[in-house]
Amino acid sequence: MFDVILQAGASVLLDPVTLGLMGIGTLAGLLAGAIPGFTIAMGVILTLPFTFGMSPIQGLATMMGVFVGGFSGGLMSCMLTGIPGTPSSVATTFDGFPMVRSGKPGLALGLGLWSSFFGGMISAVILVALAPQLAFLGLEFGPWDYFSLIVFALTITVSLSGDNMIKGLIAGLLGLFAACVGEDEINGVARFAFGSDHIRQGFAFLPVLIGLFAFSQLLSDVEDSAKAKAPLMKNSAEAIRVEHRKAIATVLMNWINLIRSSFIGIFTGILPAAGGSISNILAYDQAKKASNNRNEFGKGAVNGIIAPEAANNATAGGALIMMMALGIPGDIVTAIMIGALMIHNIIPGPSFIQDEPLLAYGVFIAFFAAHFFMVGLQAFALRLFLLVTRIPMYILASVILAYCAIGVFALHNITFDIWVMFGFGVIGYFMRKLGFPLAPMILGVVLGKLAELNIARAIGISDDYSLFVTRPWSLFFLIMAIVSVLFPFYQNAKKDTLFTKMYVPISMILLSLPLFLMGSPVRMVVGGILLSAGCYFIYKRSSILKTI
Amino acid sequence: MTNNKSDITIAIFLLCFSGVMINDASNIRDLGFEGMKADAWPRVVLWLLVLMSSVMLGKSYLKFKTVSDKDNENFSINLAKFKNALICFGMFMLFLSTLDYLGMLIGGILFVFGLLSLLGGFSHKLLVKHLLVSILSIGFMWMVFTFGLRVILPEGEILRVW
Repeated sequence: MFDVILQAGASVLLDPVTLGLMGIGTLAGLLAGAIPGFTIAMGVILTLPFTFGMSPIQGLATMMGVFVGGFSGGLMSCMLTGIPGTPSSVATTFDGFPMVRSGKPGLALGLGLWSSFFGGMISAVILVALAPQLAFLGLEFGPWDYFSLIVFALTITVSLSGDNMIKGLIAGLLGLFAACVGEDEINGVARFAFGSDHIRQGFAFLPVLIGLFAFSQLLSDVEDSAKAKAPLMKNSAEAIRVEHRKAIATVLMNWINLIRSSFIGIFTGILPAAGGSISNILAYDQAKKASNNRNEFGKGAVNGIIAPEAANNATAGGALIMMMALGIPGDIVTAIMIGALMIHNIIPGPSFIQDEPLLAYGVFIAFFAAHFFMVGLQAFALRLFLLVTRIPMYILASVILAYCAIGVFALHNITFDIWVMFGFGVIGYFMRKLGFPLAPMILGVVLGKLAELNIARAIGISDDYSLFVTRPWSLFFLIMAIVSVLFPFYQNAKKDTLFTKMYVPISMILLSLPLFLMGSPVRMVVGGILLSAGCYFIYKRSSILKTI
Repeated sequence: MTNNKSDITIAIFLLCFSGVMINDASNIRDLGFEGMKADAWPRVVLWLLVLMSSVMLGKSYLKFKTVSDKDNENFSINLAKFKNALICFGMFMLFLSTLDYLGMLIGGILFVFGLLSLLGGFSHKLLVKHLLVSILSIGFMWMVFTFGLRVILPEGEILRVW
């Protein structure tokens, strides 16, 4: 084990090419995260074509740099101009921008930077500790359990996708359908090819993703002619000297907030499809609730910067845990990472860490190292960011559209892939305009084949469909899926209804059932705790029940 | 852009789409092997899509009936709003259609130059700027992919003749 870590460390840290690529990736991520209208996912997507020719570890290290850099890049624009660079830095704006306006820009940037660093480090430790254990747990999964896990991943994406759940479900189903097109994995029979040899091969994963996400985003960015012609930022900002020492001391002094926010980030990242956009607001909210000086929040509070920045970087580690251990993407970015791994003929899953330990630990080490690059390159990225923001969006968008075409072509050297990207770009654009969330569709595309493969295996092994509800893990994930489907109704329901009072305790009691069925003492204890807590909540609320 | 009318239209479109695909699913060959057939999973997905689209249609229709006529009339497709997106679609399609003849280098430069000028304007100063941006950006990317990453990008008839 220690040998493997040393070898993986050497392959990342002692190879100047890998280090250089990671540095470039981090810089690209910092910029992508900083520029409003761009997202981390877009940064990773655009970096991907460059990694085709690299070794898997180099490619993944580069993308890890973009991933980590992207989460931290958002703080530059939100603090200096008040416009969040990415959705994962929205809450940083609440106190970061006022602190800059009050004449402490160096401290504000330093706090954001070092909170991101420490949050990332905490999540990296948890990643290394938890991912192999979770992978061992994943080895218990049969195809029934895996299929139910995918159902849960899709339902939670849908439930987190906003007000219109039906549109989220439709988007997810369209993604699953897109994954069906072409030869099926089991029998090799052509489906929905309409006589085309190209379609018979199916839609390659990356052109679909680039089309749905990057292409459609660029079209939305140039929609407004006046905005597209204006420089990216009207508010001028100046390069600032970051107050590192003071910032480190301040962050460490507020260690409780740092750790709490990091764990919120990790937990949110582990949940399939719940990314930094949620964790930063959750962490900010908790920091505000826990603070003795709530009135300071919104006026440049130190904890108001530490919480969201620690949380959003920690989310990256959480999302990687799911990706590395179970092959289920924790968010859109890790969905793209899974695609990148597949390009290098590596399928992440429970046996990934055991089968490819060098690569797996290489990814862990790259995740660690990228945080150091992020700190080191922030000052340079800030200068580049100020230069890039003088460019109008229409120039960036036009050049990137052409780049998308070249990058997609490089995947298989066929023009059809560019047509696929274009087609899905048009679909993605209109879906955005019509209020359909894209995240469920992307997850549908990523998980579609895996879902079909597992259900086919399950039916192949046994025609007993009751196994989906009698196998403990499968039942656990199906209950989780039902709980997540009902979650939006719980959120929107009035406070004093029977449903809102009973939603949490009944969910806990139901979830304890599969844990008891698993038989292992630890899980039975966890099940017992859940059952007791559920019954206690019901007892506590019985007085309310009587009044209803 | 969304309102009840647009949701009704989309739901009907999705129902038609699902219908066509369910019909096409009957053309999927059955190899006669044991286990799940090749058309089973797509059929499940498509029938769920039919179900969700019907729910969306029903919900939108009910809302459409309850909301005042005035509110429903507010929806109109403003093509001017999508002008830039339509320009991008058109230019990209042109670029792709001519890729075999112009190749990635010439086609890419023309695509970027055309798109920049259509989106940004046609003044002399801007045209020079756009030309420079298109040549430098595409030239750089072409060199990185051709010489750096060893990708054989489409050469095009024109460069092949040369």
